[in-house]
Amino acid sequence: MKTNTGENLIQRRESFLNELSKKLGRERKKEVTRPAWKVNPQLDVLKDVSQDELTIVLEEQCDAIHTKFVKTTKANLPNTILETIKWYESSSVITWKDDRFASFDLDSSLADWASRDIIEYHVWNSENREESVAIAERADVGLTFSDITLAESATVVLFSDKGKGRSVSLLPKTHIVIIPKSTIVPRMTQATKLIHEKVANDETIASCINFISGPSNSADIEMNLVVGVHGPLHAAYIVVDDA
Amino acid sequence: MKVSLFVTCLGDLFFVNASKATVELLEHLGCEVEFPKAQTCCGQPTFNSGYHEQTREVAKHMIETFDHAEYVVSPSGSCAYMFHAYEDLFAEDDVWREKARKLKEKTYELTQFIVEVLQLTDVGATFEGTATYHSSCHMTRLLGVKEAPFTLLNNVQGLNMIDLPNRSDCCGFGGTFAVKMSSISGEMVEEKAEHIESTEAQYLIGADGGCLLNIGGRLHHNGSEVKVLHIAEVLNNREVNK
Amino acid sequence: MGMHIGDKQFDKRRDEGLHDGFMRQAVRSAQTRLQTNRSKAADALGDWESWRELGEEIRTHTLENIDYYLEQLSDEVAKRGGHVFFAQTKEEANEYIQNIAKEKEAKYIAKSKSMVTEEIGLNDALEQIGCDVVETDLGEYILQIDDHDPPSHIVAPALHKNKAQIRDVFKEKLGYKHTEKPEELTLFAREKLREKFLQADIGITGCNFAVAESGSFALVTNEGNARMVTTLPKTQVTVMGMERIVPTWEDLDIMVSLLTRASVGQKLTSYVTGLTGPKLEGEADGPEEFHLVIVDNGRSDILGTEFQSILHCIRCAACINVCPVYRHIGGHAYGSIYPGPVGAVLTPLLGGYDDYEELPFASSLCGACTEVCPVKIPLHEHLISHRRHIIEDDKRGTFSENLMMKGFGTLAKSSGKFNTATKFASTGAKPFVKDGMIEKGPGPLKDWTVNRDMMPPQKQRFRDWYRKREGEK
Repeated sequence: MKTNTGENLIQRRESFLNELSKKLGRERKKEVTRPAWKVNPQLDVLKDVSQDELTIVLEEQCDAIHTKFVKTTKANLPNTILETIKWYESSSVITWKDDRFASFDLDSSLADWASRDIIEYHVWNSENREESVAIAERADVGLTFSDITLAESATVVLFSDKGKGRSVSLLPKTHIVIIPKSTIVPRMTQATKLIHEKVANDETIASCINFISGPSNSADIEMNLVVGVHGPLHAAYIVVDDA
Repeated sequence: MKVSLFVTCLGDLFFVNASKATVELLEHLGCEVEFPKAQTCCGQPTFNSGYHEQTREVAKHMIETFDHAEYVVSPSGSCAYMFHAYEDLFAEDDVWREKARKLKEKTYELTQFIVEVLQLTDVGATFEGTATYHSSCHMTRLLGVKEAPFTLLNNVQGLNMIDLPNRSDCCGFGGTFAVKMSSISGEMVEEKAEHIESTEAQYLIGADGGCLLNIGGRLHHNGSEVKVLHIAEVLNNREVNK
Repeated sequence: MGMHIGDKQFDKRRDEGLHDGFMRQAVRSAQTRLQTNRSKAADALGDWESWRELGEEIRTHTLENIDYYLEQLSDEVAKRGGHVFFAQTKEEANEYIQNIAKEKEAKYIAKSKSMVTEEIGLNDALEQIGCDVVETDLGEYILQIDDHDPPSHIVAPALHKNKAQIRDVFKEKLGYKHTEKPEELTLFAREKLREKFLQADIGITGCNFAVAESGSFALVTNEGNARMVTTLPKTQVTVMGMERIVPTWEDLDIMVSLLTRASVGQKLTSYVTGLTGPKLEGEADGPEEFHLVIVDNGRSDILGTEFQSILHCIRCAACINVCPVYRHIGGHAYGSIYPGPVGAVLTPLLGGYDDYEELPFASSLCGACTEVCPVKIPLHEHLISHRRHIIEDDKRGTFSENLMMKGFGTLAKSSGKFNTATKFASTGAKPFVKDGMIEKGPGPLKDWTVNRDMMPPQKQRFRDWYRKREGEK
């Protein structure tokens, strides 16, 4: 990460901001404390709801966002993934380079299917931008893990990283996301709180944090919903019991 | 209970039957009604047109006219709301702002007064027929009176209420808007008339003279059979109507 | 193109809207759908009014301290190696972005939907220096292909077009050979635009909300085009109206939740993308270089005035979707890329009364806009304030209107004069009454009776009846 804090990165700031404080009829503010807001309705949404109940909320919302929902066990996860890939009549798969593929015993299965020509299998290679993007662009399926999952809106939150290319969840025709059940939280509130705390602790946050809810879509033509525009045409969530 | 009637200029000049019904209804409900004769108009025509200097003068006149009142009741949600809005006109005048605040606190629209102050949900009215109700904008959105008219109408014997599609859509009156932007206003009131016709109701009931003047004018223009009534006329009816 | 669209006067634009049958039907059905979705989503949240209050509180606090939060934002962007340019005018913003394009020798530029870049006329500026700029939001793309037809809605820019018209545009301009089915049209656009994303040298985005605490910004989309634009090109430029900022990620949660519900009735859109600086070292995709352009362009003149809360606007279009005036005249009639109630308030502030003095009067003040606004902007009150400015400060009232209003004021503040004047109203109207109604009115009443009849004043006024009744008691 670049740590350039040089002023030269910022241009024409002083006159611009001075004008604002002048219009507000006061001096420039050098310190502002964000107040405690008077109401916080976001904290009441799906409050005190169990992980099982959150999973049901997630499943129901998947219906509303045209997303396939599958529940499975850790032992059965490889089978479920392969079935899902086949369900979309897909053969080429690109995955992140992510430790969770090993901890869920998936990389051996993926390699095995590839060796038997059941699928074509690629792993995101952060060393080679052009090649990785080209592979993702051609792939039928992008396979990722959810970092945080929002039950209310059926949203997977993906933090970009070296091995976790943005393109994997974006360019292939189908996006399959593995959701460890433990990652499910009520709503966006819990995810943004976590990010806020990271920022407050001076930790580096991901350059791209994607909140993804189903496949891409558009209603720009006569307000008719068309699923599949620039991003994936299909999305599937596989919830795996990781307790 | 002593009530000072703010009849509004439309109520004084056009909807005279509705105004009479307002007096009789309030008296029937046990109120002592007086009519401060110095009252004129709430000042909305100038206020909404941007002439606030003139409006302040009118507001002062009305504040003084109702200074003595215990309760001010008006058969118009829009004009009652205008009394509520006086306060903002005197942002830089502490004395008049305080007087305006006092007026606001004692001013009610008719159905609001009956339900909130008199705490009644049934005024003992009888009215035979099918009717639909237009929710006027200022009364529902600005004054915040949404349920009171329905509460009272639903308890009128013999009256069959039908839901008006898009009942909270503006009828296109908007005071000078109806004249200044006549073509847009005309489309809005036509849409309202279509919705009213679609209910096949015999009567359209409303609680604001402005809207009724507009909607009634369009219905008449279209040769419609639907009769337009002010809510006070329905609530004050205690005999079988023909 | 800029904020101003078309070159006709308001009356002409309004009449064109009123006579455009298809557009009106399209707008009506879109409004119905969007309103239903919005109220369902608001109801599903349970405590919608508390959410609105919170939204208002966050926006109010942020704007009151906008200088502080913009300073924090820019510091944080720079810490992550991003560039920040503060542009007071649209010219400064365009020139800065032109220079980036020149420096990168950029030929192809892919843009995701952004109102502020429309406002500053960025596409024209980039095309002037030879760049090939493509709009990648489906609606914007359709308009761009159709010889830059202006947008008529801030969320669904091609709302005024039907699918047959879109098919014809694709056919004529791009050799499209399929049907008018939205699925087929969309798939065709997907394939065309995929090429554009892959070849783009620069990606340009707008900004739904910047997050001051971390120098981040969020893009809220359904199509995924904003993700493309921030994933594939090596250089990324993000343009934000200076007010589009929240203090922290926790506040972003609230604003995004309000935005997606109020605008399209979704709990969240398909993509809410939070981006911070250029890609981190070791990452393969994402921009190598990141520029944030913060635009004033007249906004600071609104600060500290009675109109300040219009800067709280989060561009959800809920007010547009409920507005009965918009329903009948359509977006183009407003003559601005910002139509509807928000446009009627904001456009005259950014563009001046010379061009837009009619807009604040093109409202019945029904308040439907104020009622749905997710951050509680008193839109109809702002319209009244505009009217007051136009009449009292700018003295733009016509002679006859001034005369009438002042005359009315004189009457209404005097019980005696009022009494005398109204006494003769019935007699005065009498010659025009036919079968109990006035069908052709004189003077100002003429405009009324074009569209409806007029009930005449009653012979016996209420006050006459009352006096008589008093006497009898």
